[in-house]
Amino acid sequence: MAVVSAPRDVSAPPATPSRSPAPRRRRAGAARRRAGMLMVAPAFLHALIWIGIPVIAAFVLSFTDYDVLTQPRFNGIQNYVDALSDPVFRRGMVNTLVYAFFTVPVAMGIALLIALMLDTQLRARALFRTAVFIPQVTATIAVALVWLWIYDPRSGLLNAVLGFFGIPAQNWLSSTTWAMPSVIAVGIWQGIGLKMLIYLAALQSLPKDVYEAASVDGASKTRQFFSITLPLLKPATFFVFVTSVISAFQAFDLIYILTDGGPANTTTMMTYEIYKSAFREFRVGYACAQSIILFVFLLLLTLANRRLNGGDSGRH
Amino acid sequence: MELSRRSFLTAMGLGTATVVAGCSTTNGATSPAADPTGPVAGDITFLCALFEGTTGKETLEGNLLKQFNEKYPDVNVTVDYTDYGSLNEKITTGLASGLMPDVVTLGVGWIPPFAYKNAIAPLPESLATRYTYEERVLEPSRFDGQLYALPMVLDTRIVAYRKDFFEEAGITDTPKDWAELREIAKELTVRDGGTVTRVGFDPFSIDLRQCWETFLFGNSGELFSADGREVLFDSPEGVASLQLFLDMVADGSADFALTTEAGQPTTLQQGTSAIMMTNNSLYVQLQQQSPELVDKIGTFVLGNTTPAMLQGGTMVSQSATSKNPAAARALVEFMGSPDAVLVASEQRGSVPAILDLKDSDYVKSNPMVEFAINNLDKARSEGGTPAWMEIREKIKPTLETAIVGQQSAQQAIDQLAGIANDAIARL
Repeated sequence: MAVVSAPRDVSAPPATPSRSPAPRRRRAGAARRRAGMLMVAPAFLHALIWIGIPVIAAFVLSFTDYDVLTQPRFNGIQNYVDALSDPVFRRGMVNTLVYAFFTVPVAMGIALLIALMLDTQLRARALFRTAVFIPQVTATIAVALVWLWIYDPRSGLLNAVLGFFGIPAQNWLSSTTWAMPSVIAVGIWQGIGLKMLIYLAALQSLPKDVYEAASVDGASKTRQFFSITLPLLKPATFFVFVTSVISAFQAFDLIYILTDGGPANTTTMMTYEIYKSAFREFRVGYACAQSIILFVFLLLLTLANRRLNGGDSGRH
Repeated sequence: MELSRRSFLTAMGLGTATVVAGCSTTNGATSPAADPTGPVAGDITFLCALFEGTTGKETLEGNLLKQFNEKYPDVNVTVDYTDYGSLNEKITTGLASGLMPDVVTLGVGWIPPFAYKNAIAPLPESLATRYTYEERVLEPSRFDGQLYALPMVLDTRIVAYRKDFFEEAGITDTPKDWAELREIAKELTVRDGGTVTRVGFDPFSIDLRQCWETFLFGNSGELFSADGREVLFDSPEGVASLQLFLDMVADGSADFALTTEAGQPTTLQQGTSAIMMTNNSLYVQLQQQSPELVDKIGTFVLGNTTPAMLQGGTMVSQSATSKNPAAARALVEFMGSPDAVLVASEQRGSVPAILDLKDSDYVKSNPMVEFAINNLDKARSEGGTPAWMEIREKIKPTLETAIVGQQSAQQAIDQLAGIANDAIARL
């Protein structure tokens, strides 16, 4: 919607004494605000209905023992006490942190490396970009099924390759030692595509004149990377980090298909425990409390990262 | 937009009001409305965990429901197909949204939790006597002495063994108790160097919860008291049942990692186990994947102090909130009739729940189904407490902690008993 203001004729006297520039600016400002609100309204309503109300509902229900079969009964902070004293949920918290700790930085490092390589005049780079991005757009269930075969202890690809080099076969998904690393490996592999794409876009928008000046000053490629590229990528890094952490904390489908949280809760995650509480055990109020704890985790991590990185403004 | 304290509090207040308003609406849990005396007419929904795939859909809608509609032309049935993995979610979301299906299939052990919360409607006792049922088959359909579901198909957990491996080792009889099982399993375990290439016994290819329950019942143990309010599995019998698995893993005659992978032939078919816990549907799998093994695989019921066979299965029940309860009741009665039960059993390779079908061609043609139906007097079921839905999810991961050596069998059973007691206390 366009807001057109009347042409301003400085030589002509005002038509009426009351039509001074100040009220006109106020009216124009009000019209702009109305237009802005109208334009924002659909997105706001969507967010209110599908995000706002459910979030508030979850918060309220987290103080009840709602089981969907009977009406909610207020039980104070009991769900939070239960969640924080539940060894399996605590295990899920630790596992989630471990999963995020390994998948996020490792995948970010690999993604940046690939983005740097694909930002060059590499032959068939479009093909490589597509190949790296494909896992991101492939359904996780398909990805997980392929990895189930790769990890199969008897007929899987991984043990076959290891066997070729004389390395003994492992029970990748049923061993308490290997299950978590196996899931992390799939998480890293699957998450590289999107991170690479964001880094590639950020790399292509970096100003060329800065590099030219650095070259003239005799800076090596390595020096240019650490002194120019990395600092200029800070906003992209912040964005990739936050979205990756959130994504890592929401890891669910891989676990659901690959390990079902086992063996012996070795790979269970916070989201998986929330799912089990709500949909398998009918403890919806308890699941809401677990969700709020997950939300607090994410909020604290995001705030900490914002503080550590000086925000997403790219100031350095 | 900057979030001020006032706007935040306003939003919270509105949200709370919305949720409280939502909570205050009457749901079926508090006012069952399943009066079946009205006209048998109207639209009803059927949440069905049977009749999977295109063939199943054709069987149900192209055959069974046509028969149903010939009898009840004014009833329109909409089927929502699902599998057991998603059945819980479908029911949870249906209940939460007030769209609980009129007729629903439930698993063994699920009746007490749903009946306790008034989510399903009681059925007249006459339905329990119109056909012949083994009383142990009807047990899981009851809560507080009332009938709430009609059993359709049973999935029994039995022990299968390779006759050719037994013959090679000169073993003529199947084990009668755990001591014999251990002895035979050790004898049939094969090693290549230090690596086990064939385990004597594979208890881990079925769900660990169901496997442990089978051994618990076979050791004269119980899960819960008759009223479902007291945990009984933390008995010496319960601990010994778990300890048996640990001992067999320790001596190498069982291996937690050497199990059947999803979608693949069983360890018995692959020759990587000599005896295994399995399901009666193995026979159909053998016919499809390894017809050469059909005559080489035998079955037996194992027990330590008493023979026990775990009985899972699918039952059909009526929602307590159905708007067309007479139509819903008619469909429940129809799905529990021999015609529907036989077709459903054939489609899945399951055991028909009605004993009158014992002499049917289908049962006669499937030795494992016939074996199971002839041993239904030894059948035991899981569940038995209104808190079962919560407890059942915790059993497998807790038992696994002992299997992988994180804690002893006694500690795992004690931990599980604590979880179960907490769940029961929340009722």
